[in-house]
Formats: sequence, C-alpha cells, structure tokens
Amino acid sequence: MSGFKLFQRVSRAPTNPRAVPVATREFDVASLYEGPLSTGDEGEAAGLPLDEKLRQAYFWIVNNAVISPHYDIEYNDGAAATFAVGDSRRTLTLPSAQSYSSFILLPLLTFATRRKCLFVGGPGRGKTASAILMGVLAGYPVKEVRRAMQHGHPQMTLADLLGNPLPADLASAQSMDDIRIAWRSWLGMRVKIIDEYNRIPTRTQSALLTVMSDNYAEMLDHVYECPESAWYLTANDDQGGGTYQVIEALRDRIDVIVQALSFNPRFLDELLLRVESGVRPEEMMPPEIIFSAEDIDAAGKQILAVTMPEALRRRLEFFSSQFELMETAGSQFEYMTKDTARLSGADWHQFTAADNGRDRLKDLGCQTRNGLSVRNLMTLLVFAKAMAWFRGNAEVELEDLRQILPFVLHDKLQPDPDAPFFALPEHAAFRSDRLGWLRHLFDLSNAEYDRLDLDRDDPVGELSAQFAEGLDGLDEHEVRKRLSKIEHLVEQRTAGRKLYGPLYDDLLKLKYLHQRYTNYLNWLRASR
Amino acid sequence: MTISAALASSLAAGRSRLNARVAETRRRHPGFDTDAFATFVGGTVDGLVQAAEAVAPERVHALAMTACDLALELVAQHLVGPAARQPWLDRLWREVVPRHARLLADQPQAVLGALGNAVIQLGQWPQVRVDAWLGWMAALADEVEDLAQLRALGQLLAWRAGMAHYRRGALAAAESLPAKLALRALEAGADADWPTLRETLLANPWHGADDLPATGVQIGTFSGFGGPFAQPPELRVGDDGFLVRSADRHFLLLGDRCGAVLLPASAEEFAAASIREVSAPEARVDALGWPEGCISAFANAHTLALASPCTHAIALFPRG
Repeated sequence: MSGFKLFQRVSRAPTNPRAVPVATREFDVASLYEGPLSTGDEGEAAGLPLDEKLRQAYFWIVNNAVISPHYDIEYNDGAAATFAVGDSRRTLTLPSAQSYSSFILLPLLTFATRRKCLFVGGPGRGKTASAILMGVLAGYPVKEVRRAMQHGHPQMTLADLLGNPLPADLASAQSMDDIRIAWRSWLGMRVKIIDEYNRIPTRTQSALLTVMSDNYAEMLDHVYECPESAWYLTANDDQGGGTYQVIEALRDRIDVIVQALSFNPRFLDELLLRVESGVRPEEMMPPEIIFSAEDIDAAGKQILAVTMPEALRRRLEFFSSQFELMETAGSQFEYMTKDTARLSGADWHQFTAADNGRDRLKDLGCQTRNGLSVRNLMTLLVFAKAMAWFRGNAEVELEDLRQILPFVLHDKLQPDPDAPFFALPEHAAFRSDRLGWLRHLFDLSNAEYDRLDLDRDDPVGELSAQFAEGLDGLDEHEVRKRLSKIEHLVEQRTAGRKLYGPLYDDLLKLKYLHQRYTNYLNWLRASR
Repeated sequence: MTISAALASSLAAGRSRLNARVAETRRRHPGFDTDAFATFVGGTVDGLVQAAEAVAPERVHALAMTACDLALELVAQHLVGPAARQPWLDRLWREVVPRHARLLADQPQAVLGALGNAVIQLGQWPQVRVDAWLGWMAALADEVEDLAQLRALGQLLAWRAGMAHYRRGALAAAESLPAKLALRALEAGADADWPTLRETLLANPWHGADDLPATGVQIGTFSGFGGPFAQPPELRVGDDGFLVRSADRHFLLLGDRCGAVLLPASAEEFAAASIREVSAPEARVDALGWPEGCISAFANAHTLALASPCTHAIALFPRG
C-alpha cells in the first residue's frame, strides 16, 4: 500500500544543482525511474551526502514548516536585477543565484556546528517553533523536545534548571558524596532550548553560563557532563527588555543572532491552510532528514575540513584590524586599545573627543566601541566554513564570509552611535539595522583592502611568510638582514603621522617578528 | 460515468480514506481539479483495475487505492487530465500499463511509480521520441517476466528513443535481459548474437546506423522557437563528446545512432576542449544544404559534428 505523505515529502531533485564537470560525469541510467512519483523503494536517504541532507532539511522547513518569505542571505551568479524603492531609494535585489532565509539557515548551521543561536523578535513570530524543529531534526520526539525546553521565568531556580538532590539522601547522607542528584533530562540532550532566556534571574543565569560554556552542570559537588549540543535561545527583545539583564558573559557565549522578521500577509493562504488542516509541521518531519548523533559528528568534521583561502583570510585580518585601536587610551603602544579604555571605566566621550587627528569618517574603527575577540573570530571562521559547506563548496568564498559575518558579529561589535558616520543622513538606518551596518562595514573594509592592493602588495605578509618557513639554519648575516628589513619597513610605515587599525596591527606584528629574530640572534651568539 | 463493479467496490471500501486524501490534496493544492480527478479515476484507473481483475482479482483493492493515491498526485501536479503539461502519462496508464497486468497487480506502486517517472523524465527531453518508447513498451509487454526485466527494458528503450547519454548504462542493464527480448527491443535479427551485439554497441555508438538520414542526427534550434541556442552554436571536441557554446551558455553534446542530447557544461570545460577542426566531407555538406565555406567540422573517434554560423542546428554523423 502506498504511503500518502504530502507534508512529509522531501524533494528528490538535487537542492543545489550545478553542471557536473565532464571529466567526472556519470550518467546513471537508474535515474530514469527517479521523479515525483513514489516507487515504494526509496527508503531513507541513506548514503546521501550530509550537506545535501541539510539542504533537504532546509527546503523542507522552508516549504512546509516555517512560512518565511524573507530571502535575506543573497547570492548572485552574474548580474542581479536591482530596483531603487521608496523615498529613501533603498535597493531591492532579485538575486540571480540560490539565496536563503537567515531565520532557517542560521539555526541549521548552528545545528551542524553545534553552536549557540539566539532568536530575537516579537512574540508569535515562530522563534520557539523553529527551535523545536531543530530538536526534532536531531531525532527527538516532539513531546520530548517540548518537555525538555526550559522556559525562562523570574522565579526560575537552580533546581528548576539543573535538578534536585534526592530528598531521602538529603536526610540520611553523611557526606556530599552520599547525596544523589536527579539531573534534569534536558542536560543530556543534543539540542538544548532555552525559551525567553532574558527572563531568567541573574543567579540562575550564572549556572546556565557554566553549562553553556563548559558543558557541565554542578550541584552539591556533583558534576554532570553534558554531551556536545546545539543551543537555541529565544528572547522577545535582545536589547535588555527582558525581566532581567542578561549577564555579559552569557551574551558573549551566543554565536549567532537571528531576527524573526515580520509575517508577510500575502502568505495568509498558507497560514489558513495550516489552520484548517490542523497540521503541525514539527510532527510531520520526514525521517529522511533526521540527523543521528553520528551524522552531526561527521558533518562537523566535514565543515572543519572546508578550506579558507589565504587571500580571504587576509581580508578578514584586515577587517578585524580596524576596530581595536584607540590611540588616546594608552601611552604604551600595546595598550592603545578600546579594551584599555573600557577597563579604565573612564567616560567614553573623553576618549573620542581627544581623538582629533584622524579622519573619523573614513576610519572604520571610529564606528565601534569595541574590537573583535578571539572567540568572535573563531565563530566567524566556523560559520563561514559551514556556509560554504552548506552550499556544496570545499572552499570558503568571499560572499560566504560577507553573508555570515553580520549574524555572528550582531551582538559583538558595538556601534558608537555618536560616531560621525551615523550622523550622515544616508546612514541613519544603520543605527537600527545592525545587520545592514555590519555588512556595509565589511564592504567598506574590502574596498579599502582593494584600494591598498593588499592582495599583491603586502610586505608584512611576506615577512610573516618568510618567518613561518622557520629559523633552522639561518646564519647571523641573514638574521641581521631581516632585522634591518623590519626596521626599515617600520620606518617607512610610520613616516605618515596618522595611525589606523590595520597599520597598528602591522606594526605590532613587525615588533613580534623583530623580537623573535632578536632572540634567535642572541641565541646564535651565545651558542658560538 | 459508469465504472466497473470492481472499482466501485474498492472505492466504497476505501471511501473514508480516499475522501481524507482528496481533502488533504485540495488543501495542499488549492487549484486541485476534482472533476479531472474523478474523470481520470472513472476512465483510466478503471481500465487498470479491469486489467488487474482479469489476472489477480484478489489484488484489485490494493491496486485501486495505490492508483488513486498516485492519480491525486498526478492531477494536482497537472501531469494528467485536461490541463496536463504533457500527454504521455495518460497514454502510459491507458495503453502500456494494462499490458503489464500481472506485474501491475503484484507490485502496483513499483510499476506505476517507475514507469510514470520514466515517462516524465523522457518527456523533458524535446528530441526524445516518447511516443515510440510507449509503443515499444506496450509491444514487448508479453515477454517481460518480472519487475527487474521491466526496468531494464525501459532503460534500453530509453536509449533507443534518443537518450544518448544512457547508452553505456542501458546496455549494461540490458545484460540481464533474455537475449530474445533484448534483440527484439533493438529490432535486431532473431539470429543475431546478443552478447556480441551488445559489445559492439558499447564499442561503437554508430553501429547499425545504416538507415540514418542523409542529414544525420540533428539537434538544436533557435531559443526564440523554444530551442536551446540563442546564437548559432560553436563547437569544440571533448574526450567524451562535443562542447558547445551559444551566447553565454555551454553544453556537452552526446550523440549516437539513436539520437543526441545536450547536457549542461561550464565555460571552463568549453575553454579546455580541443579546437582542432577536420575537413567537412563534401557529401555531408551537400546533403545538409548549408551554405558552403563557413561550415566548421569537428570529430572524435566515432562521430563527426558539423555546425555553421548560418544555422542553429548541429548535425552528427558516424565518422569515416
């Protein structure tokens, strides 16, 4: 008897079709019998590449589960049609290549990389529903996912979050070791959902931080080791509108932030269908797209194996160099940073008012109140790789990085609303549109990178590459030559009086190289 | 409309299940044409039911329910019925599938699903002779013993109908066919030796092309008339076929005695292909009637391809 599963159908067509190179083309005659009709022997999508499986999951969710018409992650293959719309002449682009909805894609990439995703947006926009779908995608029954979901509320205690000591043990125990803990079941799940996390009291947030950052829970000297898992948190308002202020360390542990965009009433017919048919998408997920723990392990390894080309890495280095420098914050070269200013507790405006030497419009660093942390950069690299992997590529492309960057840095790179950049009328929208601002920032950085022709003319990069070849066998003459070259380059680069972020990092790198060669030179002399 | 007692009985037995599925399909596909579905069930599905009843009456209900489920899908996707995008599935269910009544009764989902998908696939290639494929599948039905033979036969005939890129795979699959059936499928003489013929066809794609028209196997028309080429195509030679460029699109061209197909290729593949031309045989040029002097000719081990800036067509011939 045939299976009739309209809502559970996964497309048999490849989700990311592309011309197969002639040299590797195989014409499988069995494909003659593949098509929209079930032959009853499809079985599970066994052997399907994991990136294809994740794309199948993406398209199933787009087509059946989340009514999301927003394709805000845009890719183009050649020219795209663009239109200037409204008094503000904002650009509407009709992408010429497969583009994606961030509200679905980012949670899926979080799932594949086992990271942490925060859904933000008003009530009733599908944040919790999307998080539940991720739990079902990991193979858990819907009921189990719902039960395991932690709902933030002002009275939430450590026991609510982590578990309880057994009452009988409490009464009879002679030592802490005798007290058994009834750990909450959600701690052992591979997908963890915290609904309205900004309603959790501060003390309980600290316990949550331990689980999120160190992957274990602790109570009465007992420790529960959690499995590697993907985290989904929701908040109606990311900017502090919850019951409690979210502690900074907890916010910092969130890898990507996704905004649930508004519902387009043009899709009301889909919603009506959903209401009339009583269909709950999370209960109808096709088994073919469910990921086992082994699948996710393997997907994670494949993602890490995606390569990041050196030229692209350099662009990212250049971008992240823009932000940390604050010349007026330190007297010693290494401490001229925004972090120094922040730690001092002094008024931010005093620092910016004293910074009068540079073109504050041109300097991208002036647009932010902080720089990027190592954790931010690591997350960015992982998600850029995941994006490329999801698109079926073995190498990250500039557009992958450009598209993913705003979601990773959404809450990490804090804009300075008093910066001259935001005062320009054409940039007014960037005060509220954090994603748009970050992408614009990356575009500006790339334009500057191209203007400086750093792909072809990067003496600091050449010196770094030379150093990376190793010091073994270098004689004193060669070391002195290199030291002289570094000093000459520093002199050259500091001839102008203006200091910008990339130059600051270049100079610190040159100082590092100089120090390593100096130490080596001292060792050479001593070992004679 | 009058339907057979067997179908009426099955529909009555499966009424609530079927009604639920129709309702589900209507919700999922708001433009679902219930009249077209009713007509298709009353006519075409009834024909299948009657054919199955003659050989396996005990299997009629299972067949009827499976056929109705698939019919829902086909009508919803406008693959059958008055608004059908192609005529072939109607013909398949009326003329071909009833000829395989025994297999149909035993494995309705596998037979209807596989043959249906095959017809949909074949119908997507403009130069493939789907009507001929249907005719051959019906004519050879009596000699098919099981589902594996049915599938292998369908693949072999798909190649014969013009799916040139299936040649190797189809001939490999046909190894499992009885020699008599395979030889009939290729209209080879009954005294021919199937293994030898198979090996020869694998080695030479033009073997047996004695009745080829003087203008060869032609493919490609102007995109304004629904063809693939916006501009007259340029040719180059690849390892396994010909690379074609027309405006900003690139194709891999494969052809043999049964037909030719154009598959997507990349600009890099076109750039890497050989530009070495050969001289165009006078007899071929004369037969084509294309203006002389600007015809480009390329050849690989077995095939000669001719193109001209005066036409959007490419002509293929056996080499030599």
